[in-house]
Amino acid sequence: MDAYRDQYAQIFGDTGKVTLLAISVDPDTMLAAWAAEKKYAPWTFLSDPKAMVGRQYGATKKFPLTPLLDNRTLYVVDRNGIIVHVMAPFRETDPTAYTDLEAAIKKASAGP
Amino acid sequence: MRVGVSIGTLVLVAAGSLAAQQPAPPPPGPPPLAVGVEAPDFTLPASTMAGLSAKPVHLKDLRGKTVVLAFFYKARTKG
Repeated sequence: MDAYRDQYAQIFGDTGKVTLLAISVDPDTMLAAWAAEKKYAPWTFLSDPKAMVGRQYGATKKFPLTPLLDNRTLYVVDRNGIIVHVMAPFRETDPTAYTDLEAAIKKASAGP
Repeated sequence: MRVGVSIGTLVLVAAGSLAAQQPAPPPPGPPPLAVGVEAPDFTLPASTMAGLSAKPVHLKDLRGKTVVLAFFYKARTKG
């Protein structure tokens, strides 16, 4: 998440035409506290405690000895609601993952 | 030497029985969705650094915008 915060304008642009939704199984109160503590802006966190949405999107995995968790999985959805880019898994420590994401967002957002 | 061999055998037996007690790995979940399909709609409670949002986010309400859905493990983890 630090990379999203530190490179937000570069990756997501500053036109307001792109919305980032970060989704996990955490309670919304925990996500809000974490966002405030780390100054994660300007995106929104979504709480999916039973991983219903994570499962719909094929992101959720049952790891041994842990509750359900979402793998780092990233979707770019275009203005018509169609999935146009999938990064599964999203390699959060690889700088090229962010340049690939930036390119996919630019492509999805191109046009009038 | 005989004591060493015996201890080694015991360790091996213990490790084997521990491995036998481990739960079987869970079955893999469904694969991620493919490019070209409509993103399944959802409504989820939202929060930002300003606190809990009054209104949940409904994906369909964001039509007309590019939306990035970033699933991640847990708060306070890297990435």
